[in-house]
Amino acid sequence: MSEPLALPRVPAMRKELEPGEGGKSAARQRGRRRRRVLGKLLLHASVLLIGLAMFLPFFWILSASVMTYEEVTAIPPRWVPSTPQWGNYGAVLRDPNVPLLKYFKNSFIVSTAVTLAVLLTSSLAGYALAKLKFPGRDAIFTFTLSTMMFPVFLFLIPVYYILKRFPLLGGNDVLGMGGTGALQSYAALIVPFVVSAWGVFLMRQFMMTIPDELIDAARIDGASDLGIFSMVVMPLVKPALATLAIFTFIGQWNYFLWPMIVTTSAPHLMTVPVGLRLMGTAYSTAVNMNKLLAATVMAIAPSVCVFLALQRYYVKGFVLSGFK
Amino acid sequence: MSPGPTHARRRSVKRTLTGYLFLSPALVFYLVFLVVPIAMSLYISFRDWNMLVPMTGSRFVGLKNYTYLLTRDELFVIAVKNTIIYATGTVFVGMALALGIAILLLRVRGATFWRFVMFAPVVTPSVAVARIWGGLYRPAEGLANAILRMVHLPPQQWLADPNICLYSIILIAVWAGIGATVIVFTAGLKGIPEVYYDAAKLDGAGPWGEFRHITVPMLRPTILFLSVTGLIGAWQAFDLIFMLAVGGTEAGTSPVRSVIVLALYLYQMAFKNLRMGRACAGAFLLFLIVLGISFLVLRVLRKGGVESYE
Repeated sequence: MSEPLALPRVPAMRKELEPGEGGKSAARQRGRRRRRVLGKLLLHASVLLIGLAMFLPFFWILSASVMTYEEVTAIPPRWVPSTPQWGNYGAVLRDPNVPLLKYFKNSFIVSTAVTLAVLLTSSLAGYALAKLKFPGRDAIFTFTLSTMMFPVFLFLIPVYYILKRFPLLGGNDVLGMGGTGALQSYAALIVPFVVSAWGVFLMRQFMMTIPDELIDAARIDGASDLGIFSMVVMPLVKPALATLAIFTFIGQWNYFLWPMIVTTSAPHLMTVPVGLRLMGTAYSTAVNMNKLLAATVMAIAPSVCVFLALQRYYVKGFVLSGFK
Repeated sequence: MSPGPTHARRRSVKRTLTGYLFLSPALVFYLVFLVVPIAMSLYISFRDWNMLVPMTGSRFVGLKNYTYLLTRDELFVIAVKNTIIYATGTVFVGMALALGIAILLLRVRGATFWRFVMFAPVVTPSVAVARIWGGLYRPAEGLANAILRMVHLPPQQWLADPNICLYSIILIAVWAGIGATVIVFTAGLKGIPEVYYDAAKLDGAGPWGEFRHITVPMLRPTILFLSVTGLIGAWQAFDLIFMLAVGGTEAGTSPVRSVIVLALYLYQMAFKNLRMGRACAGAFLLFLIVLGISFLVLRVLRKGGVESYE
């Protein structure tokens, strides 16, 4: 990455200016030139300042996660530790009171399962909505779009109740009474998210760009719709699948509200965000803030790494979502 | 030689079946996790229910849950007011800053790097965001006040001050979300044909004139999209306020009413007070508000401007 203060550009600017300025006096020309340089400097300085301000919170947590407790709570605050305490990371991982590795395992299972399910359901639905013609199709698409407007709070209570009363699961009888239903299993964290309206929308938009001729040709060759879908369409929408996968995975990894509600009665299912927040309350922060911060850095790492590795697709998804 | 009518019909029936077969996972999901829950929410909103007994065993109370929220519960009204401040602040301040930054970044080298730095908070879990800022906002040990002192400004109590607690959280939310907005604005700005600016220069427009008469009108679809999606999200904001105001060690000592927003109110009503009827009634009121705001924004921003963009 090139450094932000790209001063070498300035002389080039000066040269560009020189033609058309013939009639003006030398002093005025110099003044104008100085203003240009000043503006350029101001521009780069403000970008640098904004960038630093945006990065500062990350700098602090990285630095504080390797401080001693005394340094984290020092007044006035310290910017960097005197010697980095890398042991904070090991200590919090080994701490028997906080099963951090189990949180990671749960988050990984849930995020991966939801991502795979969303990829499958979104591309199946997207194909039907983009490439097949049948009555009711447009109504279903409109409905898909409109669901994005419903607040999540309309669903929390009923879905919780539906899972709790699910027949024949978790000790429930046929009528769904007597037990905890699907609430005490991974299903409670996964199933309510296996279809994503945004995912269906994204795949539909992407599949619309595939020329009909390609699909017709395959059909003339005798391919079934399932064959066309898996052999022709899917290979062509790989970039969209990547975008959707990253979005879903990071979204699930970071998701807090629903996992918190479900795992209140099922602590063994706690995901990283829920466990991390619990650590802040169960742990006494006054003693262990530095270790808490080390755990926080570890919780951030997976989503930031996925984003780093595949940011091209992630950013594309953001732009795509803005332009129907 | 054309196929007979029965043949054609059989083919159209088969096509319809295929379509619905591909859609079946989504449709089953819509039914079980969207349509049925919404119907249940509506049903619950007219009843007095605590989730401990079967739903059908609850008592019918008519519109009482709605009238309670709208006329009897002061906290609900406070939550609505706070949400208005929170949503307006995060969405519109965030958008204004993001547009400025996006314009700046189009003029510097290494912009990809800076956009990347700004995007990192977007993928950071909200719990981590809350923990980071909870640490920065500590009145004595936090860097926020250290920086204020460096530039000779009076230190603040941040989350512990009921007067600025909500605004402190708005600042966090803007930090956490601005990267995404910058990316969307950047794409929008790049989509404006250069010839418009050339034409404006010929007409003698300055930078401000270009901004007002070309950039903003051409960005209208982007602004529309960001406002609607941003407001829908902001009216449901929960995580940061829950963690920083009531549910964590970073929580300041401000009273809940100085920061409570609708989502937090509904959460407490449902899962702390176990008043499911009131919570569902509140969720429908929230839905109506979001719907109303979306239409309002659409009306205001659709008027004039670049219609062809849709």
